[in-house]
Amino acid sequence: MAYPAPLQELIELFEYLPEAERRESLINYADASKSCGPKEGEVFDLEDVRKDEECTDTVGVFLRAEEGDRAHFAIELGPKVQTLTKAMTAILCRSLNGAPMKEVLEVPADFVPRIIGAELVRLRSQTVYYVLSRMKTAVKMLLDRRRAAEGGG
Amino acid sequence: MNTKISAYAHPEVLVDADWLLEHLNDPNVRVVESNEDLLLYDMGHIPGAVHIDWRRDLNDQTVRDYVGPEGFAALCERNGIGPETTVVFYGDKSNWWACYAFWVFQLFGHDKAKVLDGGRDKWEEEGRPLTREVVAYPAVTYPVPAGRNDAAHRAYFQQALEHMQAGKKMVDVRSPKEFSGETTHMPEYPQEGVLRGGHIPGAKSCPWARAANADKTFKTREELEAIYAGELGLNVEDDIVAYCRIGERSSHTWFVLKYLLGYKQVRNYDGSWTEWGNMVRSPIEKSL
Repeated sequence: MAYPAPLQELIELFEYLPEAERRESLINYADASKSCGPKEGEVFDLEDVRKDEECTDTVGVFLRAEEGDRAHFAIELGPKVQTLTKAMTAILCRSLNGAPMKEVLEVPADFVPRIIGAELVRLRSQTVYYVLSRMKTAVKMLLDRRRAAEGGG
Repeated sequence: MNTKISAYAHPEVLVDADWLLEHLNDPNVRVVESNEDLLLYDMGHIPGAVHIDWRRDLNDQTVRDYVGPEGFAALCERNGIGPETTVVFYGDKSNWWACYAFWVFQLFGHDKAKVLDGGRDKWEEEGRPLTREVVAYPAVTYPVPAGRNDAAHRAYFQQALEHMQAGKKMVDVRSPKEFSGETTHMPEYPQEGVLRGGHIPGAKSCPWARAANADKTFKTREELEAIYAGELGLNVEDDIVAYCRIGERSSHTWFVLKYLLGYKQVRNYDGSWTEWGNMVRSPIEKSL
């Protein structure tokens, strides 16, 4: 399937960047991950905060449905999360916020190496995939909850 | 030198943050950061530090092996490291990769090398200076070493097998579940392609982290002796092989045994479990 348009644009941008600039952009995104968390007073439909075995620290995913079925995410990362994972968090928040939830569920993970580049793809940097899977899980949980509520009503 | 460090068998290989701070502008000292987190150096590092990446800089890019003498000399030259430069290693993960880089430097006989006690975590925790400025040092000449002294520091599969068959001391520094065979990966990490779980028969389990304090510094000599001599029964003259999964955690233990405690014959089996656990017909013991 095609990626959501903002993600597609970012992939194409990263693919054209020389290695040094790609790294610099990833660092900037990692810095930006600090502002991806929920803002004070912000209300969400779903909060999924946990420390999983496959990640080095706690990751909190906060999801709100806007305009019916459009996803709005906030993500809070523990300090021990790897830099690449921080960068990917900011990239995904920027590019998936506002996407229809069904579209988020269908985003394939094969874009990751196109963004981070061959040199940074290593077995031990696999947690870059983790944030996307957590975002999809949150969407699925919210949709399941809605279905259950509709069924129960 | 602080009293904890001066009590070790080879106190010259360990420095604390105060020492490093005083030597940051010393032209005879080069600070090297080695991490697992690939972009951590770019996020900020000790002023003047260069980045040596275990995979890109220390490993051969084709064969599962290390760079050769020419590659090592070139690595030093482009980082402004001469044969007389004192290299101080530090990094994330309690200095796993710093010890690994230190170990690789020993394969080439660069013994003017030290490790920063507590590594990157303690330096950051204490609010000491970090910068994103990357310093390009003028290239220096590093004579190509005559060879790589694997025999003194490194064990290959066949040597590890013979070591096991001879009933010599072997330390498995992985987590208890990896040792028992319950899992084939360490906590919080992906599976790195191991087909079988368990440990080398006769190896004793002593996870690397037992040698470290919560602030990532090494435990005192007395505490370390209680673990390795007291509990494991290792003697200073023993021929010892340490292993983990790819050789980085066991570099930490190798450093502890060889330099902090002064064990005379310690080698790191860097093929470790990703080699042993995949090798056809290699003997495996489980303790489930």
